[in-house]
Amino acid sequence: MSNLLTKVARQLGAGGAALVLVACFLPWATYSGFPGKMRAVTPGGARLYVMILALFGVLFLLSAPGRARALRGTSACTLTIAVLTAVFISYAGGGAGGLGIGAILAVVGGLAYLAAAWSLPADDRPAPIRVLPDRSWRTTVETLLVVAAAAAALIAFVIGLGIPTATIASGEDHLLLGAISFNDLTNESQFLSFLIFLGGASLALSRLGLVASLGALTKKHAKVMVAASLMAAVVFPFTQGGDGYSLRIAASIGVFAAAAIGLNIVVGLAGLLDLGYIAFFGVGAYFAALVSGSINSVVPVHLPFALTIVLAALVSGLFGVLLGAPTLRLRGDYLAIVTLGFGEIFRITVNNLDGSAGPSLTNGPNGISNIPDLTLPGGFSFGDNHVLFGINLPFQANYYWLEVVLVAVVMTAFLRLAESRIGRAWVAIREDEVAAAATGINTTRLKLLAFGLGAVLAGAAGSVNAHVVKIAAPDSFTFLESALLLAAVILGGMGTVHGALLGATVLYLLPEKLRFMQDLRLLVFGLVLVLIMRLRPEGLLPSKRRAREFHEPGGGGDALSAPPGRASA
Amino acid sequence: MDLFFQQLVNGLVLGATYGLIALGYTMVYGIVQLINFAHGEIFMLGGFGALTTYLTLPAGTPAAVALPMMLMGAMVVSVTMAVLLERFAYRPLRGAPRLAPLITALGMSIALQELVRNFYPEAKSARNFPQLIDPDKRFSLGGSVTISAPSLVTIVIAVVGMVTLTLFVRRSRTGRAMQATAQDPDTARLMGIDTDRIIVTAFVLGAALAAVAGVMHGLRFGQVDFRMGFLIGIKAFTAAVLGGIGNISGAVLGGFTLGLVEVMATQYAPEPFAGGAWKDAWAFVVLIIVLVFRPSGILGERVAARA
Repeated sequence: MSNLLTKVARQLGAGGAALVLVACFLPWATYSGFPGKMRAVTPGGARLYVMILALFGVLFLLSAPGRARALRGTSACTLTIAVLTAVFISYAGGGAGGLGIGAILAVVGGLAYLAAAWSLPADDRPAPIRVLPDRSWRTTVETLLVVAAAAAALIAFVIGLGIPTATIASGEDHLLLGAISFNDLTNESQFLSFLIFLGGASLALSRLGLVASLGALTKKHAKVMVAASLMAAVVFPFTQGGDGYSLRIAASIGVFAAAAIGLNIVVGLAGLLDLGYIAFFGVGAYFAALVSGSINSVVPVHLPFALTIVLAALVSGLFGVLLGAPTLRLRGDYLAIVTLGFGEIFRITVNNLDGSAGPSLTNGPNGISNIPDLTLPGGFSFGDNHVLFGINLPFQANYYWLEVVLVAVVMTAFLRLAESRIGRAWVAIREDEVAAAATGINTTRLKLLAFGLGAVLAGAAGSVNAHVVKIAAPDSFTFLESALLLAAVILGGMGTVHGALLGATVLYLLPEKLRFMQDLRLLVFGLVLVLIMRLRPEGLLPSKRRAREFHEPGGGGDALSAPPGRASA
Repeated sequence: MDLFFQQLVNGLVLGATYGLIALGYTMVYGIVQLINFAHGEIFMLGGFGALTTYLTLPAGTPAAVALPMMLMGAMVVSVTMAVLLERFAYRPLRGAPRLAPLITALGMSIALQELVRNFYPEAKSARNFPQLIDPDKRFSLGGSVTISAPSLVTIVIAVVGMVTLTLFVRRSRTGRAMQATAQDPDTARLMGIDTDRIIVTAFVLGAALAAVAGVMHGLRFGQVDFRMGFLIGIKAFTAAVLGGIGNISGAVLGGFTLGLVEVMATQYAPEPFAGGAWKDAWAFVVLIIVLVFRPSGILGERVAARA
């Protein structure tokens, strides 16, 4: 009986998914004024995404009987994109009459697909890690696969960033949703569709074990992976056709990511909850601004940038050690509130050192602006536009590449540390401080080292950022910024570099791209944070150890994941 | 000397507000070890709940009737929101890494602020709050030291609230169940205590006190703002830590200490670091100093290292 049901459900689901596939080749809009390709027969944009997700359905419902559960999330994403696009079309095209036959069929087929995926029996076996057969061509193919993965990541990033949203299209915020033209609206729907598509596709791939297999491959060919990712990051400006705005966003993501990785040393490795990390970033930024030769700076010196970045990192590290030395013996949340307090003291101090409420140093709430463009000894100015290989490179590309170098340095520092004796000692402290001390680890000194190193990296990132945004002002160093950095670390998955990178990208890009929601975007942002934590409390890309701990029946046992009531009893 | 006593009174009034909110932090933390960052927003919602109640009352309702009604309204809004928060943002994450609920708390804090800003009528900037108690009416406390009527009411209500809560936790059956759950949730469960219900109770009590603080804040300053919960929330949490988090008397003591430090620093700190611009910085400096010398707060017990 249940066998029959399963069979029916599978047929129904495959049929539904196939219907969606067919629908993708039919026009989705009849409204004649509707811009974009929704009236055409060939799929593009959102229809392409729906098509790919539906293809997963047809293939796996028919060929891999036990794996239907892998499609639960994917089918939900398929239906969501179809419905979302239909809503946008009817909104722009004056009611449901604007919908074409394709859109209606896609929604109907999507419903069947979803119903089937959810009614099929669950299969909780972990997907196997796939390995290529041991042939002479294996290494070549594996290398190619790794390079392809880096390229795919770059392409996904370029597409996501490249879909013009209201802000990019017009260069300014709209006052009301109604002020956005139909054209913008299709862009917004396309960006949302793309996001949902990425989510659906990665769900399917990870449930099928392909993500884990790829992870194993990149680990095996780590050098190729590093080279390929670096290459992808370096060529990114060439894909932008001279668009400075997107490069600026990418550079800002870089700064944010560098700071998040630094924080990851403190929180993810050593397990010290720091709620005022942005203050160390701010120390670096203010130091760099003061010695940058800006006309708003009260310090009449202009140090070369290489010296600035080193000094900024050292000064910031000094603050870290000064704050850490007396306070690191505090436990968990007490340390958190002390760092929060330090962050607030920093913000208030730089806000007040304007000559009237305190000594004149930081130009108060206005901050130190007019930071001049960086120049290299050879006379190269970061403020110049360039043309390379016939492609326009606006000046933002120079700063972008500077960010790539910064992120690369911070990532290297993190990875080398994590694998070292020191890094293992940090993890031991995080897991159980008493046991770590008992094995002969000098916990106080190592905790101080983590805190100080985190501050050094933040200081370096801050000094670079001051030159990228050309201003250091107190508004950029609020508690909310610290909280967002921490959110990036936790969202991505604590204790990993790629997790922090992904978390930083998502947290920076999402509010930036949700601008069309105007006033509602922060509301949506807050709710999305809650939603992601509910769906994946261990983060989007957790370290293997954490993921395993988290799925053990007994739960994890480290200081940051103790079940309620256990932590300090 | 009068100036000193005047500042003492001002500090106690400010501290009473911090203490009321800090109680909510400390109860929740004591039981589930969660920093409920959205608690400041519960305080803010209390202010708006009272305002809504006032606006629905017929014009000309005497203050003696309106004020209790507003307090009730504020509590209903705050408590409802706190229960929803616990149910949908915290409870599902109870077995998760401890930082996960911190992020949902943060997300809810942002979301609640934005909810009020976008959907409460005309709340994009501060909204006027009815001045039911004349702020210009001042009582003399000897010499030139005075206290305004709303401040006096704040202190009285705060003290009543704190005493009631202490009695409740010490004497009542539910209160003792809360203590047991805070000490050891597993054993408490074995003793037949419905720990889920106890956790909700902690949220409800905290929210009710925060709602009272929200109304008092509105009465004293004549306005409520969607942003008002954020900084006060952080400082109230600071007060809870200062007093020793998890300790109810500690939260009250921490609140008064923080209030006094802020007010006194504004007056007596060495130039140029005196004045309102530096008061928050002083509050945190004192926090750091206290924690360096008493790592578990003023009244906190020295927590034994985890075995």
